[in-house]
Amino acid sequence: MAVLYFALSGLDLLDGLSELDKEERQHIINWIYSLQILPGNDRDEQACAGFRGGTTLASCRGESSCDTVSQLDCGHITMTYTALASLIILGDDLSRVERPAVMAHVAALQCPDGSFFSTRGGSENDMRFMYCAAAICYILQDFSAINTTSATKYILNSMSYEGAMGQGTHLEAHGGSSYCAIATLHLLGKLDSSLSRTQRERLVRWLVERQSGGGLQGRPNKPPDTCYAFWIGATLQILGALDYLDTAALRQFVLSTQDPITGGLAKYPNSNPDGLHTYLGISGLSLLRKDNLKPVDPALNISQQALSHLHQLHKNISKNSTVPC
Amino acid sequence: MRVSLEVSLISMGSTANNITTEENTTRAPGEEHDDSLDDGSDGEAWVFYRERKEWADITPVPQDDGPHAVVKIAYTDPFTDVYDYLRAVVVKGELSERALYLTEDAINMNAANYTVWQYRRKILRHLGSDLEQELNFCREMIEMNPKNYQVWHHRRVIVEWLGDGSKELKLTEIIFSQDAKNYHAWEHRQWALKTFKLYDRELDYVDLLLEEDVRNNSAWNQRHFTISQTTGFTKEVIQREVEYTKAAIAKVVDNESPWSYLRGVVQHCEGSLASVGDLWEWCQKMHDEGQCSPHLLTFMLDLMEDRMERQPDLRPTLLKRCLEICESLATKYDRIRREYWRYIERNLSHRFGA
Repeated sequence: MAVLYFALSGLDLLDGLSELDKEERQHIINWIYSLQILPGNDRDEQACAGFRGGTTLASCRGESSCDTVSQLDCGHITMTYTALASLIILGDDLSRVERPAVMAHVAALQCPDGSFFSTRGGSENDMRFMYCAAAICYILQDFSAINTTSATKYILNSMSYEGAMGQGTHLEAHGGSSYCAIATLHLLGKLDSSLSRTQRERLVRWLVERQSGGGLQGRPNKPPDTCYAFWIGATLQILGALDYLDTAALRQFVLSTQDPITGGLAKYPNSNPDGLHTYLGISGLSLLRKDNLKPVDPALNISQQALSHLHQLHKNISKNSTVPC
Repeated sequence: MRVSLEVSLISMGSTANNITTEENTTRAPGEEHDDSLDDGSDGEAWVFYRERKEWADITPVPQDDGPHAVVKIAYTDPFTDVYDYLRAVVVKGELSERALYLTEDAINMNAANYTVWQYRRKILRHLGSDLEQELNFCREMIEMNPKNYQVWHHRRVIVEWLGDGSKELKLTEIIFSQDAKNYHAWEHRQWALKTFKLYDRELDYVDLLLEEDVRNNSAWNQRHFTISQTTGFTKEVIQREVEYTKAAIAKVVDNESPWSYLRGVVQHCEGSLASVGDLWEWCQKMHDEGQCSPHLLTFMLDLMEDRMERQPDLRPTLLKRCLEICESLATKYDRIRREYWRYIERNLSHRFGA
């Protein structure tokens, strides 16, 4: 599902979605919905709702399936976020999303310390899934499922002595987790109230210092890597400080990781391209507004155009419904 | 030209593992692939499960991609074979030794498939399996896939079941010998230290790592963590750490990590930044000797900013000095960040100007 999102959002930013005809778009939308888990009304079952990552177990539900299947065939918070993002990019109206079940799935994954697991079957918990939870809540316009106070506390506790965020308390400050933290606060509408002026200044300084030899590194004294063009770039954009980077040098670095034969972008120059670095490189370049790419929204990591479609859906929902969604 | 979304994922690297996909992402760029495992072209030939007598009672369950598959993966035959049998035993709810063995094959083909790891844990619990042996299996998987989230999570769960963290420091040290900045290993080590109270030799270990590479930011972070969990940053500890960090800076001045650490340590002081020993004089001496590392200059800016906050009468002199330093950073010593230093000039002028 995440791979689909990279492909779709990448195509969108390249203004290439029109290459998919209406029929093909509908096939993809149907495929995404086929990965939605449809539980009953049981709260415990709903905790396993959301979207699957792929079709590995999709054929296992049926008359002959047992408890093992329902325990293993659970939604995954990252796949739920990327499914919803992909649907929006394709222009879907999210009407087939089982909202109460998806929100129950997100709620069930929050830990007492405010962070999130990824799936009921058992996983690690860290800042990545915090971001996915916030993005899902924003897309569905429903923050009631999560404890935003403990989530904010977890984020602030993850700020290390360096002034940026690690994956959790005491862990090393990192570009990816800093993005997840700041994007979450922004999506929750708590960015300005959560960071003091000093904290914000120190964070901007740390982010700007990640520029090394043109590219951006994820941590001090590590080599620059294409994907941080988005993780660090988008965090700075949200903080209104993207222009403090040498954007020309950054662009040059990202473009230098292109493979001239297969296309695509890689982590470093002269290494193999992959879907993640290709998409995040394009998304990072979009932030710089120097190439012919559609503008990207730094908080949800979808095109501004897709975000406008989402906002229109939000308007339609609040116009038509008499109960909060 | 129609764009097809059929993507061949054989060439995808382990970076996709970082997003915990279930697709077949078998190796990272440059990582050696064990061909004997999935296509029988080298070493031992692969025996398909569908040809194994002991599996004759199981009907494999094919993957259902629906009528219009998207991001279709070009699975190898052995991969399809293993996962068809995995689906079959999951549907049956079989929690047996042979199912455990099957999960090992499934994991070797895609160590990022979190569902297989969950199923494996179900089986282990049901069978009451030898968890020490499982720790060995886990160690092998970690050594082969050190940047995979699922292997580290599995390790943590098994260690929790055993209630024994005695092997965890050694395990992470093995990983650090290959990559001293592996984030997963540091996260695991911090968890083990906290859970089993194993801090005794940690500062010594950090010293060793910093001897090998004074630029290892993870080791500096670990130093801060260890002290915060043990003695805390008392006045004596702060003094000791300041001297330790100054010595590290003397080795390599242009190294961000110890400067960050120094800032972090003195932040624990109740008084002003410059009240800890002779930090200002020490910086000034290096500057006078011609040292122009941006980290030194930035630290001096921070010391002056702190002083301007507390002593308004010093603002005119110090602000002038600050603006000179910003100018030198923007035009000479840290040109890549010139836009940022221009911003800092404006910011300081606004806050401390007349």
